[in-house]
Amino acid sequence: MDLILQALPDFLDGAKNTIIYCITSFPLALLLGLVLALMSSSRFLWLRTPARIFIEVIRSTPFIVQIFLIYYGLSAVLYYISLSIPSLSLAQYDNAWVAGIASLAINYAAYEAEVFRAGFLSVERGQTEAALSLGLTSDQNFFRIVLPQAVPLMIPPFVNDFIYMLKDSAVVSVIAGTELTSKLDFWRVHHGSNPIPLFVLAIVLYLAMSLPTSWVARWYERRLRAAL
Amino acid sequence: MQRTLTQTELEPKSRSWLVILDYLFYLVLVAFLAGVVLYFYNYRDTLLIDLPSLITQGASATIVLSLLSMVLATIFGFIGALGRLSRFAVLRWIAFVYVEVVRGTPILVQLFLWGFGISAVLSDVGFNPHTIAFQFMTLLQSNSLVPSEFIFNAAFYGILGLSFNYGAYLTEVFRTGIESVQKGQTEAALSLGLNSGQALRRIVLPQAFRITIPPFANYFITLVQDSALLSTIGGVVELQQLTTSYASPLSSDPNRQLFVYILGAVIFLCICYPLSILARYLEARMAVAY
Repeated sequence: MDLILQALPDFLDGAKNTIIYCITSFPLALLLGLVLALMSSSRFLWLRTPARIFIEVIRSTPFIVQIFLIYYGLSAVLYYISLSIPSLSLAQYDNAWVAGIASLAINYAAYEAEVFRAGFLSVERGQTEAALSLGLTSDQNFFRIVLPQAVPLMIPPFVNDFIYMLKDSAVVSVIAGTELTSKLDFWRVHHGSNPIPLFVLAIVLYLAMSLPTSWVARWYERRLRAAL
Repeated sequence: MQRTLTQTELEPKSRSWLVILDYLFYLVLVAFLAGVVLYFYNYRDTLLIDLPSLITQGASATIVLSLLSMVLATIFGFIGALGRLSRFAVLRWIAFVYVEVVRGTPILVQLFLWGFGISAVLSDVGFNPHTIAFQFMTLLQSNSLVPSEFIFNAAFYGILGLSFNYGAYLTEVFRTGIESVQKGQTEAALSLGLNSGQALRRIVLPQAFRITIPPFANYFITLVQDSALLSTIGGVVELQQLTTSYASPLSSDPNRQLFVYILGAVIFLCICYPLSILARYLEARMAVAY
């Protein structure tokens, strides 16, 4: 119990950082995912193929591999840029925050792209045909007809993916991030004789973050199903 | 009205020049592939040294670990699903708490818990999986097959952690599969004189099986990917662990280090992408009703 009280402030700080990781990378993932979804459903091969390749590669490699790649790749890239343009002083961005947020955003963008695509496909084709035959342009059709109908359907998978992201942000600890799992790892190493209370504390904090979110998602999903 | 008509008329024309970029794209793609080949050729010495053992040791260990964990996870998931559908409130509650707690916490934390927490507690109590396996294999007169204590215990708790985690996800998969079989099927089976065990085994499960296959395959792919997390608890020499250990002596040369990580990622891609094609095929196959 003493150990828990001792570790609590640090763990709460870690939980705060976990949330910061997620709420910064999730909007980025959504944005990138929307771009990827639009690209991959484009008529043009030069837009479609890169997006498909990106999505498939990201979805077929483990997140921990990507995080290592981005962490080391980022430092290499930033190093070379800062050699050629020293005035930008980009080397200061070579840290776990940037690499962690970037890799979370890139990884989840591939999954969100699929959610977006499924959402757009779920709006019946007749809607688009009707809109076009009423004289709307294809942009108007997309923003006024397809998107408003697709968004409610996409919210439950988005919330689910957000919960997944809360959990996957634990992997950032392998590149010395400062989120909850890193704190857990630090305390575990320094109190190796009795690690179980620390694990309990971390698990409780993770549950406190993820369970309410999933309840909200379930409540919304039930309402949505009732509305349809 | 006139304006919109001309707009829709013009639209295909105004965009058509973009199709030219498709041909440009082929050129860029060829250049990109050539760049990739050149990149690998540049590091051919590292490639020749590392690739064989990355495949024979790393990738094979990843596949074996994943298969073992999936088998165990299926058992956990089946027990969990039976628990969630049980008549007894206590069993339902235990299964519910299992699913919610496991699905609400990161798999990395769970692996830490199994690898560093529970293993330490159990070894304090006097339970050592390595000793048990060693004694068992001694009975079979082949105890040299058992790896060293460090490796065996890490693999034991790693597989247990992975399968415990995936068991919770599979619990939900199996539960929805069983629930998706109409109640009338069970009722018909029971009224034809089958007992409840027969009804479950002969009537419900074969129909539920079909529905659970696509999500099952998808979870197997994520399990293969998550097995890379075993590298964090050490001891298990699977693909990610091996990649990291090959990359770390090269830390003086970050480019070469990056190359080893890319190599590891490519091997994971070669394992998981065919699996995901297979999963998609199964999904399309199973979507067709009887």
